[in-house]
Amino acid sequence: MDFEFSQDHKVLQSSVRDFVEKEVKPLAIQIDENHMIPDELVQKMSAMGLLGSYLPEAYGGAGLDILSYAIVVEEVSKACASSGVLISAHTSLACDPILQFGTEEQKKKFLPPLVTGEKIGCFLLTEPEAGSDVAGLATTYQKDGGHYVINGNKIFVTNGGYRGTGILFASMDRSLKHKGISAFIVDLGSEGVELLRNESKLGIRGSYTTAFAFSNLRVPAENLLGSEGQGFKIAMETLNGGRIGIAAQALGIAEGAFERALTYSKEREQFGHPISELQAIQFKLADMYTRIETSKLITYRSAWLKENKKPYAAESAMCKLHASETATYVTKEAIQIHGGYGYVTEYEVERMYRDAKITEIYEGTNEVQRLIISRALLS
Amino acid sequence: MKILVCIKHVPDMESRFRVNEAGNWYDERDLAFRLNEYDEFAVEQAVRVKEQLGGAADITILSIGPDRVIEAVKKGLAMGGDRGVHIKDDLVYQKDPWQVASVIAAFARDKNFDLVFTGMQSQDRGSAQIGAAAAELLDYACITTLVSFEISGDVVTARRELEGGMRGAVRFKLPAVVTCQLGLNTPRYPTLPNIMKAKQKELLTFPIADFLNVESLAETEKMYPPERKGRGLVLEGDVNELADKLASILKEKAPALR
Repeated sequence: MDFEFSQDHKVLQSSVRDFVEKEVKPLAIQIDENHMIPDELVQKMSAMGLLGSYLPEAYGGAGLDILSYAIVVEEVSKACASSGVLISAHTSLACDPILQFGTEEQKKKFLPPLVTGEKIGCFLLTEPEAGSDVAGLATTYQKDGGHYVINGNKIFVTNGGYRGTGILFASMDRSLKHKGISAFIVDLGSEGVELLRNESKLGIRGSYTTAFAFSNLRVPAENLLGSEGQGFKIAMETLNGGRIGIAAQALGIAEGAFERALTYSKEREQFGHPISELQAIQFKLADMYTRIETSKLITYRSAWLKENKKPYAAESAMCKLHASETATYVTKEAIQIHGGYGYVTEYEVERMYRDAKITEIYEGTNEVQRLIISRALLS
Repeated sequence: MKILVCIKHVPDMESRFRVNEAGNWYDERDLAFRLNEYDEFAVEQAVRVKEQLGGAADITILSIGPDRVIEAVKKGLAMGGDRGVHIKDDLVYQKDPWQVASVIAAFARDKNFDLVFTGMQSQDRGSAQIGAAAAELLDYACITTLVSFEISGDVVTARRELEGGMRGAVRFKLPAVVTCQLGLNTPRYPTLPNIMKAKQKELLTFPIADFLNVESLAETEKMYPPERKGRGLVLEGDVNELADKLASILKEKAPALR
């Protein structure tokens, strides 16, 4: 059993950390305030290879492993959770299903522009009436010659504002429930796709969370991902992997807030001493750090399981559950340690607190994670 | 063009340093290590030379130390080095600069390097002797503290940073050892695809005994933190008074403001 990163993972971690320190961190407050990530930063992240970490070199990716991907999302999220989720949703929810379920032609066609950032990927599953209840999709499709014709609405589409490449789920017959769902690779710049709005949110405000309407969107038959009726399985397996990305994002948010709280506690003097000498603060730091370290271990282990093609559905649910609850806990305590300054934008922990909450909700609420874990235990 | 880049793996300078049990170096446990900043400039400049020559150069990245230094070598490879050399020595911190320079020279002697790049100093020991001593041992020209570098054929024109804010312009012929100063360039980030490619590059390991054949000339007997000079100065008064006091202190302490 080896708990140390390989030399290669250390090189990756320090390189991404340097990149984030210089290119991402200085923009984090601005990204939150302007509700967008500057295009220039997206281009720099793709030039750095952050958008294709574990995709094979044959499709333009870096060819690294899933752990490398988790490290990338963690390091970026330490400074900016919006940038972290851009990478996570793009990689786990758009590139991964193409890689896992796509034909060779689909991989060759769709993955290279996703790696270069020419297209940003997204995942179109959730609907106004279908969140955790995935089988209740109301978006439908019909075959029409060499095309599928799609009608319906999607909401909460992370990265949707880039109008890049989406994995869209629709039902051929709602009475078939999950057996009627299929997945399609769609170009969100196509005719028949209407971008309804970009939501204003509590946190990850730099990340686009968009709503779309599809009216007679014509998708070429060759863009069907997997086979007809396989959509539910594709969605579930994609989300299993996506949870590793969200856990890594949550872990990064927690670490970013913890680093600030630790530094602040040593610098801030009250009653003639740094507040880090007060047991009330020391115990907070100990609890925060313990939860971070346990989140880290379980997240890296899930990445390792996926990499080695071992079952990982329950583990990825556990890492997402634990890391997200760690993120909300640690960011809350980080504000408390900062006192009034923690409530001020400049100190950044208030943003991290807002950013953390979504990790308990998206890619399966934590209630759904508990269902997955308990079913694995009891089935 | 054959290029050698000599690099060191040093602790992150924001670490909390503790003296080791023998009292002659810092305790390496619990420290995060990274590529010496000045050596990053050295790697970057070597890669730029290779790019300028359309790839007609071969870059060897060399580091001496325990296994952890491979991380620094791999970073150099991911930035564009062609092969790595790890001269393994778990006790390199006990070697003085003369011995380290001798090991580098012994490795390089029969390999006909045209250019040897290294940092102007390491961030931990900071002797700034390695480049100069290795140049002497190899009978190469030596130009230190470079802030610019241009090569044409076998002639280099470069600028050096001098004390007192002055610059020196130099011209020299290869072969040469050059040491790199802050301001020479902005090192590139190793991209993910290049980190992957670096995994396939040749990495040779040699025991230090293969190259070490001199005794040390100066041993570090003791390492210690200097005595604390009291805590920071706290100014009091209203804003105007504070500004005046601060301005007079800066005038007194900071030569640039005089």
